[in-house]
Amino acid sequence: MKHLKSINKKAKMLDQATGSEELDEVVAMQTVVGCTGVTDPGWEVDPFGGLGSLCQPMESDLYGCADACWWPAQVPDTMSTHPDWSSDVAKANQDWRKLDGIFPEEDK
Amino acid sequence: MNQSNLIEKRRLGLVLAGALAISVLASGCSSTQHHADASGSVSGTESAKGESHEYLLTVTRPNNLHVIDMESHHITRSCDIPGSFGGQISLSPDNRTAYILSNGMENVYGLNIETCEQVFSAIQSTADVKVKTFVSIAVSSDGAELYTVQNPVRRLKDEFKVMSPVLAVFNTEDGLNARPVRTFPVDRRITTIAAAANGEVFLGGGDLKAINPKTGEIRMVSALQSEDRPRWLTPDAFAMFNLGEQANEYILPYVTAEFADDTMNFETAAWWWGMNRVDLATGKNQRMEFAPFEFIIFNLVADPNDKNIVYGAFNTISKHDVKNKKVLGVKDLDHTYYNINISGDGQRLYIGGTSSDISIHDHESLEKIGSIQLPGDMSTADLRVARLPH
Repeated sequence: MKHLKSINKKAKMLDQATGSEELDEVVAMQTVVGCTGVTDPGWEVDPFGGLGSLCQPMESDLYGCADACWWPAQVPDTMSTHPDWSSDVAKANQDWRKLDGIFPEEDK
Repeated sequence: MNQSNLIEKRRLGLVLAGALAISVLASGCSSTQHHADASGSVSGTESAKGESHEYLLTVTRPNNLHVIDMESHHITRSCDIPGSFGGQISLSPDNRTAYILSNGMENVYGLNIETCEQVFSAIQSTADVKVKTFVSIAVSSDGAELYTVQNPVRRLKDEFKVMSPVLAVFNTEDGLNARPVRTFPVDRRITTIAAAANGEVFLGGGDLKAINPKTGEIRMVSALQSEDRPRWLTPDAFAMFNLGEQANEYILPYVTAEFADDTMNFETAAWWWGMNRVDLATGKNQRMEFAPFEFIIFNLVADPNDKNIVYGAFNTISKHDVKNKKVLGVKDLDHTYYNINISGDGQRLYIGGTSSDISIHDHESLEKIGSIQLPGDMSTADLRVARLPH
C-alpha cells in the first residue's frame, strides 16, 4: 500500500481512515469488546444490509449491550458474571480505553 | 400457508429480532446539588399543566438517580442507588417516589426524589434462587401496589433449573425489605409492563397481554408472535423502555411486512413500523401500522396534546402523522440514543440513553436546541418525567 498514491477524494478518505493512529484505535477497541475479536456478530451489519443503522459510535452501545446481557460473547455480562467490569469507568465514550478484556479465572 | 412459509417466517422473525437488537440492551442519600453543563439555552420553557414543575429522571453509572429541572436543564439532585447499575424507573402516582430496578435487574428500590430517602426495597433473589426482572416494573394507578415480572433460576450444586416466570405483586406500604404478597404465572420473554386505571397490568412480550393482578386471569390484548394474518409477516415486537406518563399510554412498537401475494416474496413486500398503544386511562388498545420501515426507531413517544403525532428516536429523530402514515420529518442525531420523552406542553423532546448526554430538540423543526451533560453513561436507563407542585 505504501507504494500506492491516492489520486481522488474517495481514495484519500480511505487513506485517512486507515492511518496508523486510527488502526491502533481499532485494535485497542477490539481488545475491549472481547473474545470474538475481529468479527463481532451482531455489530457488523444492520437490518437493511448496511452500516447506517448500527449504533454509532460503538462506545454509545457498549454498556447497553453489557448491562442487558445483549451480546454476552462480545462484551462482558455485567448483569450476572462480571458486575464490576466497568465499575471504574462511568463514561464509555470518554474512558473506554480503561476497560479491559476478561479472561477465564484459574481454578485454585 | 404451508410449512416452509411458516419456517421462513419464523427464520425471518429471528433475523429481525437480531437486527433490531443490533440496532438497537440502603438508602445512600447523597443528595448532591450537581449543576450540569447545559449547553444552549432553551426558550419558551413555561411549566406545563398548571403550576406544576417538570423534572426529567434518569440513572447513570455508577448507579445514581438524577432529578433534572426541565426549565433550567440543570441537575437538581443526584441520589445514590444501592447495588450495581440498574436503570428502569416507575413512578408513584404523586410522582414523589421513583421505584428503580437495580443491581443487575434484581432488586427494586423506592427513592423519594425530593430527599433521596429510601422508602421501599425488594430483594427478589434468595440464597438458592436467582431472580432477574428484565425491565418489567410498574406501579398501580393508586400507588398501592408495585408489579415486577420475576424470572427465577434455582441454582443447584450441579445444574441451573429454570423456573416459571411470575408476576409478583408487592404492597408499596410494606416499605423496606418488602416481599411479594401475590404471584401469578405469566409468559416467558416479557419485558415492559404498565398498569392501567382499570386495574389491569399490560404485559409486553411475544404477544401483548393483560393480567388481572388480583386473580391472575390473563387476556390476549393483541396477538403478535401468535398472529396469523394472511399475507402479513408475523410482527416482531421490541420493548425495552417504559414510557407513557405524558400521554398516559403504553406503546409497544413492532416491525412487520405486507406481502404482495401468497408467494410471500420479501423483495416485493411493503415493510412497516407498527405499534400497539394502550390508553392507560381506559385499558383500550389500538394497533396500527404507521410508517415505512426505512430507518430504525428504538422508542416512540406521543405528543401529549395530539396523540396522532408521535416521535421516534435511535440514530435519527423522526416525527410521524399516525393517521395518514406520513413521516413528517427526520433529522440525524449526534450519536445513537435509545430513549425519548417529551415535555408536558409538547414543545421539547428529550433524547437519552446510551451515552452521557441528553439531547434536546424542538418539536416542530426537530433541530437540536440544547444538551444536558451527565456525570456517567445512561446505558439502558429509562428517561421519565416527574411532575411536582414546585
